[in-house]
Amino acid sequence: MKYKVLWAITLNTFRETLRDKLLYSLVGFAVLVIAASLLAGSVSLGQDARVIQDFSLTAMLVFLLIITYFIGTQLVFKEVERKTIYLVLSKPVSRETFYLGKFFGLCLTILVAGLIMAAMFLIVLYAKTHSVPVAAYFAVGAIILEAWLLTAVSLLFSSFTSPLSSAIYTFGVTLIGHGSATVWLLSQKASPVMRGILEGVYYLFPNLEKFNLRNDVVFNLSPDGTQVGLILLYFVGYTAFLLILGVAVFRKDEF
Amino acid sequence: MLTIRNLTKQFYQRTDEVTVVNNLSLTVKKGQVFGLIGPNGAGKTTTVKLIAGLLFADKGRITIGGFPAGSLEAKRKIGFMNENPQFYYHLKAREVLEFVADLFEIDKELASKKIKALLKEVGLQDAAELAVRKFSKGMHQRLAFAVAQINDPELLILDEPLDGLDPLGRLDFKQMILKLKKSGATIFFSSHILSDVEEICDEVAILHKGRIIAQGAPKALVKSSKQSLEELFVRSIRNEI
Repeated sequence: MKYKVLWAITLNTFRETLRDKLLYSLVGFAVLVIAASLLAGSVSLGQDARVIQDFSLTAMLVFLLIITYFIGTQLVFKEVERKTIYLVLSKPVSRETFYLGKFFGLCLTILVAGLIMAAMFLIVLYAKTHSVPVAAYFAVGAIILEAWLLTAVSLLFSSFTSPLSSAIYTFGVTLIGHGSATVWLLSQKASPVMRGILEGVYYLFPNLEKFNLRNDVVFNLSPDGTQVGLILLYFVGYTAFLLILGVAVFRKDEF
Repeated sequence: MLTIRNLTKQFYQRTDEVTVVNNLSLTVKKGQVFGLIGPNGAGKTTTVKLIAGLLFADKGRITIGGFPAGSLEAKRKIGFMNENPQFYYHLKAREVLEFVADLFEIDKELASKKIKALLKEVGLQDAAELAVRKFSKGMHQRLAFAVAQINDPELLILDEPLDGLDPLGRLDFKQMILKLKKSGATIFFSSHILSDVEEICDEVAILHKGRIIAQGAPKALVKSSKQSLEELFVRSIRNEI
């Protein structure tokens, strides 16, 4: 793979998504919601820091996922619809380079959007408590990792289905991914056939709760090196699996 | 330069199998301007997309300078201008060319010089800093022509390059293609406008329902059939129907 070419596509995708008015609306709204957590905190009884942390980190996750659903699922579709894909794929660019370039481009956008939201969250938190627990940084990092993983999911779906279907499927993966523990519990109480199906779902779908460090922030419990390593390993492994699958599908696409 | 042997491409429409390109064979020699002509739906664009590696052949093979079509080596040798070219709306004309130069891994300094020269050549030097979304159809075509030449291609593939242009634009465009022809460029171009093909091409092939039904130098075809290229085209197609 040619890294210069990969970078050119990544940067182009990043710039393209930055032109999307929806992105600005979502980031702007997220920042407002996080700022509003200051009000929500002030009406709580001695729980203001906790409310701000819960409210802001959840808002950050929700808005980053909305960006993934709405922009991620459109990335390849728009290229095909507008025929700009001809401009790239008729040049010495492999299908995998194009696909990965789109992925990294949106990851860069999510990173920037996430950092803007995180900055607002940290400002609000500091304004209220005059301190920022280290765990908050880990929680923010884990939220961004989760959004990146779901970007790979949305890109995979969008390589063989419409943007709307892709958004619905990605949302479904998010729900199942956050309900992994419930799926496992259900499987243990189900009939043998159902148990097999539910266990299959448990192992096949990403366990997004691994990225949930939001509760730890309240108690300022920073993850240790092993936990961070496992989260990173899980993220890299699962995302690589999704990207390999996506590239395999995209390689066979005709335009 | 370009060799196509027994090329077949089928599409599936619901339960039907439609053969769009049917056992097509042709050769484009170095320095030749080859025109693929045919009515709408003859299979011209499909053939062009197969050459550019955007579609995959069901049967047969295409080689460009000895490399299979769709391979990175083959793509490095071609300049491709598709029908109704579109660009990223967020880019300016100069940025589009810079982006494509990056895809070819052309050195920044060299790319910058080339971009200036190409924009001048296609008459877009004053629109270099204009966003592509503000471009007219003719400007899109011109920019696409510049994009197709950024890598000094050994084979230039133009799909309906004069389609939808006003008379002045067509004249300008034809002159640009003829200038390239004079410089010894190898060009494969598809069109349904016979006068253009007759004026520009060394050899033409008439494509109908995915098959070549007549092929040769325009003058030789006219001479041997004792009819104009337009008459030959219409008769060949009617006989096939």
